Amino acid sequence: MEKRRPTAWMREEYEKLVAADLDWKLRVLQGPSAPRSIVDGRSVIMLCSNNYLNLSNHARIKDAAKRAVDTHGAGSGSVRPIAGNMNLHEELERRIARFKRREAALFYVSGFAGNAGLIPQLVGEGDAIFTDELNHGSIIDGVRLTKAFRFIYRHNDAADLERALKEADPKFTKLLIVSDGVFSMDGDIAPVDQIAKLGEEYGAMVFIDDAHGEGVLGDGGRGVASHFHVEEKIHVELGTFSKALGVVGGYVAGSNDLRNYALNKSRTWLLSGSHPPAVTAACIAAIDVLETEPWHVERLWENTRYYKKELVSLGFDVGNSATPITPVMCGEASVAKRLSERLFDLGVFALPIVFPMVARDKARIRTIMNAGLSREDLDEALNAFERAGKAVGLLK
Amino acid sequence: MARIGFLVNPVAGLGGRVGLKGTDGVADEAVRRGATPVAPAKAAEMLRALAAKPQARLLTWLTCSGPMGEDALNAAGLGHDVVYRCQPPTTEEDTRKACRAFLGRGVDLIVFVGGDGTARDIASIVGSVVPIVGVPSGVKMHSAVFGLHPESVAAILADFVGGHTATVDAEILDLDEDKYREGEWVVRLYATAKTLHEPTLIQTGKLMFEAATEEDARDGIAEYLLEEMDQAPDTLYLLGPGGTLHRVKQRFGAGGTLLGIDAAKGKTLVAADLDEAAILRLLDAHPVAKLVLSPIGAQGFILGRGNLELSPAVLRRIGLRNVVVVATPDKLRHTPDLRVDTGDLELDREFAQKEYLFVVQGYREMKVHPIRG
Ligand SMILES: Cc1ncc(COP(=O)(O)O)c(C=O)c1O
Repeated sequence: MEKRRPTAWMREEYEKLVAADLDWKLRVLQGPSAPRSIVDGRSVIMLCSNNYLNLSNHARIKDAAKRAVDTHGAGSGSVRPIAGNMNLHEELERRIARFKRREAALFYVSGFAGNAGLIPQLVGEGDAIFTDELNHGSIIDGVRLTKAFRFIYRHNDAADLERALKEADPKFTKLLIVSDGVFSMDGDIAPVDQIAKLGEEYGAMVFIDDAHGEGVLGDGGRGVASHFHVEEKIHVELGTFSKALGVVGGYVAGSNDLRNYALNKSRTWLLSGSHPPAVTAACIAAIDVLETEPWHVERLWENTRYYKKELVSLGFDVGNSATPITPVMCGEASVAKRLSERLFDLGVFALPIVFPMVARDKARIRTIMNAGLSREDLDEALNAFERAGKAVGLLK
Repeated sequence: MARIGFLVNPVAGLGGRVGLKGTDGVADEAVRRGATPVAPAKAAEMLRALAAKPQARLLTWLTCSGPMGEDALNAAGLGHDVVYRCQPPTTEEDTRKACRAFLGRGVDLIVFVGGDGTARDIASIVGSVVPIVGVPSGVKMHSAVFGLHPESVAAILADFVGGHTATVDAEILDLDEDKYREGEWVVRLYATAKTLHEPTLIQTGKLMFEAATEEDARDGIAEYLLEEMDQAPDTLYLLGPGGTLHRVKQRFGAGGTLLGIDAAKGKTLVAADLDEAAILRLLDAHPVAKLVLSPIGAQGFILGRGNLELSPAVLRRIGLRNVVVVATPDKLRHTPDLRVDTGDLELDREFAQKEYLFVVQGYREMKVHPIRG
């Protein structure tokens, strides 16, 4: 018998991805993620980071990280339940709760770990989950880890959600509705007010993943629940420090009961080392900044309004977005790819999103506005869009 | 380079314009009634759309002489090898022989221009060996192998070259044409074949998550149904035809059918390939029964296509609320509405009044889906 080659399949699988042009081609940032970054050796205007408020470069946040290394060291030494629970972690959770105007919060290694670790603990045998068909992959993975029945409702369609709730209601013990707050591909906002209302009506738990709404929507960037004034009806608000807050790390905010239960049950929390002091202190400082410097969120929205208006007056279609996520619709994949390449030549970094990530005729460039871009930067980017758009035939 | 077997059925679609509801066995009559061919124009349309794409250069074409493919490829300026010579007027036998020639040359895919009759002839030879894709050009197109338009077939081919398509099972359905000309509408499920599937959906790719494969989804559905049967050991489960439910039937060991209606109880097969009378007899013996169906063919029919044994009498006995619909997420995405054609207008109306049905699309996974009569 031929000897088994235990890992030969890896290269074969990889080569298949390459042949289908589905492999990730990684670009390299040489230096910080900033409104102007060095990417693959070129200085470009950054239009595809999630660093909405440019907090990753904020002096107070960087200083806090440096100081924490001196006072608490480079690492935490353990998982939280054993010996890795530092006063910094506890302080951060109090600060998150205060910022979110909730009783309590629990800090996870990432937003992904929050979804994958908590969802399967909220429901199980005899229960039902209601999940938007376009929810983020980390929610899908969390849902897959449960024995609960899954009802998948049409994207942002509260009527469809209600049909599912109605059908399921008498048959199950606990009901859980899960939705992204802001959907990261199109920048559209979930009907969280209607979801909250349905949750109330049917006695369902409501879980909103607000990764792209934190620091962007609501009062002072408090997120989508604040945007709709329904905080008290959302039982679990999941957020992340990896996007607008400029650091990394996930959290859930809600009641004391939620925190007490979640920390005793979430395997991704119990079994994974806690965040290092630098990260934890930087997250605290990011909340400080949001609470005391309201202009970052204001600038983000000013930039978003200007940028979208100008793109539209140039003749681009920016889709249904209601947030700083701004798709520039291109139609065919080849147009989106060429537009992205031309933009890069002109000093603008914005990646194409093509089939099979979005429908075949909905290829686009997905751009994300940033509070740190100046009016000059925006005009330069818009000018590049105009030239590139004409070069690829998208504009007359 | 991908090798495509390309076949045009020059008489496909001839019957429609002159009121013959199909062309199988009556092409001469159609021509006598003044029918003009449709297939060549559809073939030209598809090839023109394809030739404009850069991927066209990565295809090699094997075809049949004259009107069965050669003429269309010549007109589109695409190089090819003729591997089968026909003598017009062509018949089903030419289609079958051409397919044998394609298989002999190891084609990766067969693209044909025709309707359900042509699909059936091809499937009878190639089975599940190579996938087939149809450019719609017949009078009847119930089978799940047709692109929506000639241009969409060109787009699927371009994706195929790029490795962006998946191969999935597809039902081959056809009207029983003799019965139809006598005024009776009987669509049979004749076979399943393989076809290419373009996952046109949204956000399944690398950024979000890997969608589960068709096979995984079927396994999940099977798992779920078996669990249900386990929990209701006295309930009779009638399982309809098609590939999705075949997966469940295979779990019972040998004896389950792909194209027929089988019955199971407590996770064992109790009868296979039932006709209406046999179903009614089983229902006499079982006060509680569930009927599990999956949409068959291109138009999303759960009743009335390929399962005529499920007569109005059977459906009334089982009761609408005991009908369970299953479909993989991919299949559901390509099925805008579920449809029924029970042969009983009142029953059709009762289904349509529900407006939505819950479809099982994986293990304990449901989706609300619209239904119409
Ligand atoms: C909607 C959504 N949820 C969760 C996450 C995961 O967050 P994290 O980066 O903290 O793991 C992301 C993005 O990464 C996201 O877009």
